[in-house]
Amino acid sequence: MTEDLLSLIKENVIQGRIAQDDEGFDEGLVGQPGASELTEKALTEGVNLEDIINKGLTEGMNIVGQKFETGEYYIPDMLASAETVGAAMEILEPHLAQSGIKSKGKILVATVKGDLHDIGKNIVSILLRGAGYTVKDLGNDIAPQTIVEAVREERPQFLGMSALLTSTMIHMNNTIEALTESGLRDKVKIIIGGAAVSEEFAQSIGANGYGADGFQAVKIMDALRNSMKG
Amino acid sequence: MIRKGPAGGSFRPLSEESIDRIHQTAMRVIEEVGFEINSEAALDLFKRAGAWVNQEKHLVRLPQPRVMELIEMAPSEIKLCGQDEKHDLFLGGQRVYAGTGGTALYIYHPDTEQRQLATLDDLKRIAKLVDQLDNIHLFMLPTYPSELPVEQVDVNRFFAGLDNTTKHVMGGVYTPDGVKQVIQMAETVAGSSEKLRQHPLISMIICSISPLKMDRQHGDLMVPIAQAGIPLVCPAEPLCGATSPVTLAGNLVIQTVDSLMGVLLTQIVNPGTPVIFGSVATITDFRDLKYLAGPVEMGLINAAGAQMAQFYKLPFYATGGMTDSKVLDAQCGYESAFTSLLCALAGANFIHDAAGLMEFALTACYEKYVIDNEILGMMMRAVEGITVNDDTLAFDLIKQVGPGGNFVTAKHTRRFMRSEHYQPTLSDRNWRDEWEARGSKTTWERAAEKVKEIIVHHKYRLPADIRQQVLSEIAGIVD
Repeated sequence: MTEDLLSLIKENVIQGRIAQDDEGFDEGLVGQPGASELTEKALTEGVNLEDIINKGLTEGMNIVGQKFETGEYYIPDMLASAETVGAAMEILEPHLAQSGIKSKGKILVATVKGDLHDIGKNIVSILLRGAGYTVKDLGNDIAPQTIVEAVREERPQFLGMSALLTSTMIHMNNTIEALTESGLRDKVKIIIGGAAVSEEFAQSIGANGYGADGFQAVKIMDALRNSMKG
Repeated sequence: MIRKGPAGGSFRPLSEESIDRIHQTAMRVIEEVGFEINSEAALDLFKRAGAWVNQEKHLVRLPQPRVMELIEMAPSEIKLCGQDEKHDLFLGGQRVYAGTGGTALYIYHPDTEQRQLATLDDLKRIAKLVDQLDNIHLFMLPTYPSELPVEQVDVNRFFAGLDNTTKHVMGGVYTPDGVKQVIQMAETVAGSSEKLRQHPLISMIICSISPLKMDRQHGDLMVPIAQAGIPLVCPAEPLCGATSPVTLAGNLVIQTVDSLMGVLLTQIVNPGTPVIFGSVATITDFRDLKYLAGPVEMGLINAAGAQMAQFYKLPFYATGGMTDSKVLDAQCGYESAFTSLLCALAGANFIHDAAGLMEFALTACYEKYVIDNEILGMMMRAVEGITVNDDTLAFDLIKQVGPGGNFVTAKHTRRFMRSEHYQPTLSDRNWRDEWEARGSKTTWERAAEKVKEIIVHHKYRLPADIRQQVLSEIAGIVD
């Protein structure tokens, strides 16, 4: 029974179905329970939380990644699946602390001061949630000092900054300097992204990583996380 | 998503008045000029059907009311079936399908840049290839097997088609005995003589010789096919300035008369027998009077032909999608796309020659089938047009997303993105660095990879018992 439930959760992640009225990738699924309903059921039935995350959500998301690589899935499919994982994780979160399971880490994300472009940052947030990270989204047009305060309060392991405009990317540098002055720079790993920036720019301002797109952002976060463990 | 039979008709090169004037002129030609019928059997049939016949000159004339009476006997909708029913086509109205065409003598190999005489093996391989290319709806026998004597050509061409694809097989025919053998073979494959008439797995083409003339061989072939009730295409191939007036309107008059000549004969032989009005019309090259396969005027007159067919309520066979280029270059792409698209937007029921042909239709090319499959996919999307309703206008979604939001994460996007937008199967849409990482391949190189993949993996064969029966009953098949 447990195995069936886990494979159903996995299947609904692949389909990108949060709730029973969602359509999914294949036809004829409307009305069948989605990942939220199934996750609730798994909790009620006392299924092991780590199994739900690993064998249900993560395995499902891995298959979605493969489908994206082969061209079968497009970005909206991938995002639907990531949102599905995010929704399931939200249901699981209150129970995780009790059972001593940690999330993969917390990341603060923001589009920097002067920049109102947030589509990319929002997509990255969805994908990071889908990959099992806790995401705190500060929004757009966020001043360096506001980010410093948020890092102090939220104590995230990661900070993600986005900029579309060449005129606003300088605030990434300003934010990193402000964090250094506040003595917080070594508390967070910083990744940056957005159309304006590049790998070279990331290195020049002392960021820890650069993601050209949302999928790369997840990969870089995973790599940074592994290096922190070591 | 495979698009089959969407309704065209948005492109109408002829006004209602122009259609009527072409029709009236065609009727005047049939009544006052007439056409030459060099088949005794056909001439006799016209005579018995009330035509004015000049026996000495083999000339046939008919009054307009009699012509229209005979046209009305012909069905306005025709079913062409595949061995697999998912490949059944319903020609008529403004529904659009596309298929291969022929009959090419050579095969061009882009890797060596050489062409060779086509063989029976080429025909089989092209059948396998077309079987797997979704935007090519019908398999018209594309090449002539150079190594076979003419009396073995019909039976081997049709067997190669039926044994390698479950799509409908259409083809030109060469000998009366061949026609008989092919019908017998198709009856065996269909299960019985009656089943073949209910589900015609094959159809045949007899092209008339413009202007205003049916030669003996063609008349002698047309009569038994119509008697047998096998769907027959009787297109005409007038060339502007050579075998028709140079003007496009004059060409349309000759094309209409010449194709109607076949329609009339089939209805005299066997009222109600399925017949397809058709055009292979094009312009000529005035430097040497050769047939041209890629000019834009060809697209125009074949699109106009579709309007004439719709006027007569006859299913239509159009010609488009070829090129005069010798290689797989830009000319090859733009001529193929232009000519087929014009026909399709006009609602031509079946666009033949729409895949694989180049060099004045003398040459077929494996890779071009794959390239044209992509062109046809885009073309069918264009025919489908723009759907406007509450779901596609998406007011509720726009309200929900609001200013500054995005539509990437909307369920609506996911619901419609694959059906609203054509999904390419060959075109390159990678960033330059990805494209380079994948080997910087040109269109034909990517097409060549698909050709190899399909031909290696394709396994279709006629069911073993039927195949054995066909081989034992019908002489001359080279297995």
